Amino acid sequence: MEDYKFLFKVVLVGNAGVGKTCLVRRFTQGLFPPGQGATIGVDFMIKTVEVENEKVKLQIWDTAGQERFRSITQSYYRSAHALILVYDISCQPTFDCLPDWLREIEEYASNKVLRILVGNKIDREDREIPTHVGEDFAQRHGMYFLETSAKEAENVERLFMEIAAELMEQARSKELPRYETNTTSINGKTTSIGDTSNCGCSRLS
Amino acid sequence: MIRHTNELAENVSAKVRQLDLARSRVYECQRRVNDILDLQLCSEGVAMALCNEDYEQGAAHVHRYLSMDQQLLERTAEDILMDHTNVSSSLITLQQAALQLRTVVTHKFDEAVKSEDLASVERFFKIFPLLGMHIEGLKKFCSYLCTKLQETAQKNLKAALEIKSNDKRASVIFSDTMTLLFEGIARIVEIHQPIIETYYGPGRLLMTISILQKECDRQVKKIIAEFMKHRCISKKVQIVNDYIRKPSSERADPKEFDLLLGEITIMHSRAELYIRFLKRRVKNDIEISVTNDAQYKDLINEFKSMINNSDLAHGMQELLGAYLALERYFLEESVNKALGMDTLDQDQQTSSMVDDVFFIVQKCIRRSMSSWSIDGVCAVVNMACGILEGEFANRLRNRLRQGYPAGYLDLAQAYSTLQTSIQHGRLQTSDTELARLMFLAYLNNTDVSIEYVETLCKSLSSEIDATFPNMQNKERGKIDSCLSGLKGVMSILRAVNDYGLEQLRVSAVKPRVTPWVDAFLSVDHHINEDDLLRYETEEPFVQTLIMNLEGLLQNFKGTLTPSNYDALIGLLTTEVTARLEKVVLKSTFNRAGGLILDKEIRSLASYLAAVTSWSVRDKFARLTQIATILSVEKIEELADYCGADAIAWRLTPAEVRRIASMRIDFRPEDVKRLKL
Repeated sequence: MEDYKFLFKVVLVGNAGVGKTCLVRRFTQGLFPPGQGATIGVDFMIKTVEVENEKVKLQIWDTAGQERFRSITQSYYRSAHALILVYDISCQPTFDCLPDWLREIEEYASNKVLRILVGNKIDREDREIPTHVGEDFAQRHGMYFLETSAKEAENVERLFMEIAAELMEQARSKELPRYETNTTSINGKTTSIGDTSNCGCSRLS
Repeated sequence: MIRHTNELAENVSAKVRQLDLARSRVYECQRRVNDILDLQLCSEGVAMALCNEDYEQGAAHVHRYLSMDQQLLERTAEDILMDHTNVSSSLITLQQAALQLRTVVTHKFDEAVKSEDLASVERFFKIFPLLGMHIEGLKKFCSYLCTKLQETAQKNLKAALEIKSNDKRASVIFSDTMTLLFEGIARIVEIHQPIIETYYGPGRLLMTISILQKECDRQVKKIIAEFMKHRCISKKVQIVNDYIRKPSSERADPKEFDLLLGEITIMHSRAELYIRFLKRRVKNDIEISVTNDAQYKDLINEFKSMINNSDLAHGMQELLGAYLALERYFLEESVNKALGMDTLDQDQQTSSMVDDVFFIVQKCIRRSMSSWSIDGVCAVVNMACGILEGEFANRLRNRLRQGYPAGYLDLAQAYSTLQTSIQHGRLQTSDTELARLMFLAYLNNTDVSIEYVETLCKSLSSEIDATFPNMQNKERGKIDSCLSGLKGVMSILRAVNDYGLEQLRVSAVKPRVTPWVDAFLSVDHHINEDDLLRYETEEPFVQTLIMNLEGLLQNFKGTLTPSNYDALIGLLTTEVTARLEKVVLKSTFNRAGGLILDKEIRSLASYLAAVTSWSVRDKFARLTQIATILSVEKIEELADYCGADAIAWRLTPAEVRRIASMRIDFRPEDVKRLKL
């Protein structure tokens, strides 16, 4: 038996080239592969992290952004505990596609899934999407929000650690009876954790 | 002395070094002389050969010349002043001859291609490398092969488009056409690789295949385009996507997709087979031509990225995408249809939906496996999990939620009522009987489904191992994770099964067991010695209880699956023992009464143990111990029971005292004084 208390599936989605694979590799392997090729189908990584002295195994599914892989990637939405929707802050079209992605998530994912909006590539000078625009979007759609840089390793660890912590909390509170609180806990609440402070894992350190 | 020896040795080795140097100079000198001699020979020979149109001979001379160290040759020419003109002119002759030969051979090759003179094509193809034209030669030859490939492919595609719709191969004609293309390329590689390796040396396959792949890409694109057009793929995908979003829109019969899905998986598997073939060949070729590890990796990566970026790979990804969209529809619609057409036969423990649904699920997953795509298999397994956990489990749960209708009715009678009502076309009158039968069938459906999922997981796991040998760790991880998702369906179904059993307990077991057990209260447990024998043989209370239980179980025995039946006995036992404990604790006994109770409980336990394969002993532990307390001769014995075998003993000292006080012949102060 493997030694872990919780197993969570995290699925990354978003347009091609926004840096999903780089985020995953930065988090799981601590590196930033330059010239990363397009992902084919889905890629799969595992990392076990520790949250409040509990081993949490994160199974991370990195999906291909290209349209032709859509029917493969869609099949992973249903069993996901968390969905990370990524766009590139220096590329307006990747932001403009977010509503389409949300529709897919609506269609295929469980309505209890934890949804996080991530604006990646904040190391770039040519920003096109201001932080508050991403924040607003996330708030309107009941998602968590965070801006990251896989290249500079900024907020990447924090992104996944907070997901692990939140999912663990959900899993624990599920053991207790909880009914009407849904609206305020997962889908209704928007916490902006993407302010400019450079702290690592604020909640966990 | 040592120093002397040392000096001597140094002297000797210095001399040896000098000798060695001298020898290598002599050797080099010899080689230069040889080169000069050969140079002259070659220059004379090449002129002659060109005159005679003996290109092989000419090329052989040029080849010899090219294998000499060009710079050295120039220097030699300068060194030998007196013979300077001679060597220089030979050099010039040869350089010119080489140039001339290159032009001639190129021209001749082109002519041979134009006139489809295969023998000449091969003849000049072999001359290129002698003239140092490896890359040009290979490119020219491969583009010649490409034209051949194109001709055949176009002919095949044309024939495919002209096929009659009633032809046996009509439903797989596009995969046939694609197979022909891949086989054609494989044959080319098979035939020409040895020639290329002989005349061009090893390590040329990657380039050869890269050129051929370009043509393959063009042809595959054409085939896929025709396939898409003739099989109306985009329209079908559109319909199923619209249907998922808006179930009221236009609907397609999933059966219509059956052949099409098969054809796509064949195409995909053929492409996969073809790529595996290329990979194996290229890998071997690189292995024998490259010694350095880094270079090996670079070349392998070059091949991989060539394939990944090919139109073939993209085309296959498109096809797989279409396949999965349609397969999803096929799976979901067929399962929904099976759920909708669910029927219950009189002699069946389960209704038709279980076998139907699992047949469909298995069929779809198997079909995905025949595509040879790991991502495809994973996706279909995910879809199967979705429908099993979703619609399928919900259907089971909803039926079980309606509960097992209370009230007593013989099942045989229920069947006949059901039959007559079907015959008379009025189902509504026998709603209760039907509901009861359906409840049990669904309880069985759930139980059998758990077993089916387990079997499915096991067989899939071994079939996947057989289909994908040499799977990489990452791909194995993907498959394993998706299969464990399928295993997760079992725990969901188990919860549904438990829920159903609980329903059964609430409506069919508890209300009936309670009065049967409560009859214990109306029996006198203060038995005088005269009646003891009669009670011992007749066991009036427990024999009636057993008879009642027997009657109850009889109704379910053949109707429930063995494991559901065992589960029923399990919960029946729990119910009976719990209730019995309650009523025993409400009664009072004398010793004879306690002895009778002890005997009756043993009879009950052995009856229940006999009708199930599960153990019931644990559930009887407390009752047996209560009976033991109630049947002891002297109160002092109790200390032994409670003290010695503490592990198996379930009763607390307070309970022991309470039970002991139910013996009317024990004095309360003795009970109080008990040391436990």
